[in-house]
Amino acid sequence: MSISSSNPVISAESLSVVLNNKKILTDLNFNVKSGEVFALLGGNGAGKSTTLKTFLGMITPTSGSAKILNLPVDQHATELRQKIAYLPESVMLYAHLTARENIKYFLSLAGINKRDDEINHALEKVSLQPKAWDERLSQYSKGMRQKTAIALSILRQAPIFFLDEPTSGLDPIAIDEFNQLVSQLASSGATIMMVTHDVYGACQVANHISLLRDGQLVGNFSSPEQGHINTEEVHAAFAARSLA
Amino acid sequence: MKSSVLMIAMDEWRYWFRSKLVVTMMVVALVLAVASVITTGLSLSHESHERSELQNKAEQAFESQPDRHPHRMVHYGHYVFRTPAPLSTIDPGIDSYTGTSIFLEGHQQNTAMFSEQGKSSGLTRFSQLTPAFVMQIIVPLLLILIGYSMVSRERENGTLTFIIIQGVSLNKLMFGKFIALLMAGFVALLPLIIGSAVAVTQGEALSVVLSFILAHGLYVVIWCALVVFVSTLNTKNSSSFSILVTLWIVLCIVAPRIAASTASSMVASPSKLEADFEVIREAQALGGGHNVSSADLSKLKANLMAQYDVDDEGDLPVNIRGIVASKSEADLTKVLNRFAEKRMSEELSQAQIARQFGWLTPVLSLRTASMMLAGTNLETHHRFLREAEILRYDFVQSLNKVHAEKLSYNDDVNRYKNSDANNKAKVTSKNWEVLESFSFTPDTATARLMKSIEPLMQLFAWILVLLILAYKTRKVM
Repeated sequence: MSISSSNPVISAESLSVVLNNKKILTDLNFNVKSGEVFALLGGNGAGKSTTLKTFLGMITPTSGSAKILNLPVDQHATELRQKIAYLPESVMLYAHLTARENIKYFLSLAGINKRDDEINHALEKVSLQPKAWDERLSQYSKGMRQKTAIALSILRQAPIFFLDEPTSGLDPIAIDEFNQLVSQLASSGATIMMVTHDVYGACQVANHISLLRDGQLVGNFSSPEQGHINTEEVHAAFAARSLA
Repeated sequence: MKSSVLMIAMDEWRYWFRSKLVVTMMVVALVLAVASVITTGLSLSHESHERSELQNKAEQAFESQPDRHPHRMVHYGHYVFRTPAPLSTIDPGIDSYTGTSIFLEGHQQNTAMFSEQGKSSGLTRFSQLTPAFVMQIIVPLLLILIGYSMVSRERENGTLTFIIIQGVSLNKLMFGKFIALLMAGFVALLPLIIGSAVAVTQGEALSVVLSFILAHGLYVVIWCALVVFVSTLNTKNSSSFSILVTLWIVLCIVAPRIAASTASSMVASPSKLEADFEVIREAQALGGGHNVSSADLSKLKANLMAQYDVDDEGDLPVNIRGIVASKSEADLTKVLNRFAEKRMSEELSQAQIARQFGWLTPVLSLRTASMMLAGTNLETHHRFLREAEILRYDFVQSLNKVHAEKLSYNDDVNRYKNSDANNKAKVTSKNWEVLESFSFTPDTATARLMKSIEPLMQLFAWILVLLILAYKTRKVM
């Protein structure tokens, strides 16, 4: 299962989800290619988390399909999970374990064995202070937990990242650090799909942004060859759609 | 590389070790289990020696009585003691309530006495912390306290999604948690295993001990599976805890009482007072063990005099008073046995109905299996009563035979005239050797194993149902 640069890594094809007789997602279509950062932007209740859960194989599409590496997620969930790194809005690793213990444990669950120096290297890469490495996560801030989870994803060498409101609750410095990390991951070939309501953050890191409202895609933006997507343009569309 | 199931189990233990509350509960479980095995073991070991000693003393005391009128020895009576079976150190079963010694005497069947509960005062009643009680009631509660949040915690904290994203199936997660809890359960089971192993050194059959351990092991498996199953179904720790504690109350406390009440209402039995009055009424109609009815007496006399061809009862070569006592005892015993068998049959029917509730609660399945294997069940107690009654009847009738054959009628009827006459109405103490020594042994290992098949099947059925439920849950979730 190699990742070709031309084929979409993540794709929604007429994806619709109905839960409890309520339409949550309606006819979503998008493609994310290898090395791209795709941001799904929307307000509360727009259907962002449902989209993400569908791609994680936790919700089965009512019609259409959610595909990763051209495989329907609902039929290949276990196989595809080996390729996926997921960062929930609030990263919940084990509070009773240290950062290193968490990483070792979750790697072992994924069937991966890493040396201590490789783990240390990943923790350095995400700029987690070495003095915190052996502290239990109950002492960690949200940003530190997120860095730990990203270090875990790096060590898992997951080529595909799903990020759920990744900058929610982070301070400005932590947001900058996180955006840099996402850019680094993308430039190293990772494919990233994030759902967020942070217009500024999305414009900073994403190659493509789609606006989601009431479960439907209502706008698409792509970055120019050089530079970022225009924040004001997206913000205006987001605000207009929100007010509509 | 360790399997993910083992990794999950080991991490759960790491979590417990870092959580003081869980470690405290595990220590409490272990201390309770060890303390119960030691205290019950010591107590029963002491009682076992004491009863053997008392049995010998009772036999010696009976046989060392001086020359007497034989009927006085019928009323002097004799004690029989039931020495506890080796596994009763773990499960004293109904012995705690029924008593293990009986005073045997002429003309009546006494009930067993000196039960553990009977010896206790009101406030200390049910105070004995037996290993069986700890395993059946306390250990499930501790397993709930340790494990109620095993899976729901992962869901509540959001780590469940994270684990599943690592490629671990819910099945493996549940199995890993189950293994962790099972290990905790077996730590609590360890003192019972050691206590049971000691029973082998005291003469208990290995097959019985292994089945005894198997029954308790299955019970731990059931509770561990139940805890993990409920914890998996619930998204909140609080709801998982509430459901499990409710289940514990229903299965361990309420259901056994419903079983007992149902059995009592389905097989009605008269109260002890009613039954005693009925026995007394019939016994008095028969002459109370001393006399026979006038019609029977006339017939008996006539037959004897015809048999020995004499005209007066004083001329008979046997003492008619002994013959009367013997016939009277035989008639009375028939009545007493009829009542006793009826009572035992009612008790057994009630017990058999209550045992069927083992299909509904594993506590009753384990309790039945445990008592059957330990030899502390109702059937064994009934056998003790029957064997004691055989001994009672034999020694009373042997004394009546001595009365009839070794004491002349004239000496007997004149014994209250003066002290010389009284002395003449005695037989030598050599005659007290009629007493057979009493030794009660549990059923054979095969018999006990056969009786434990049904409750063991009930425990296996519980496991099967939980496996099916776990499979269905996996599909639903």
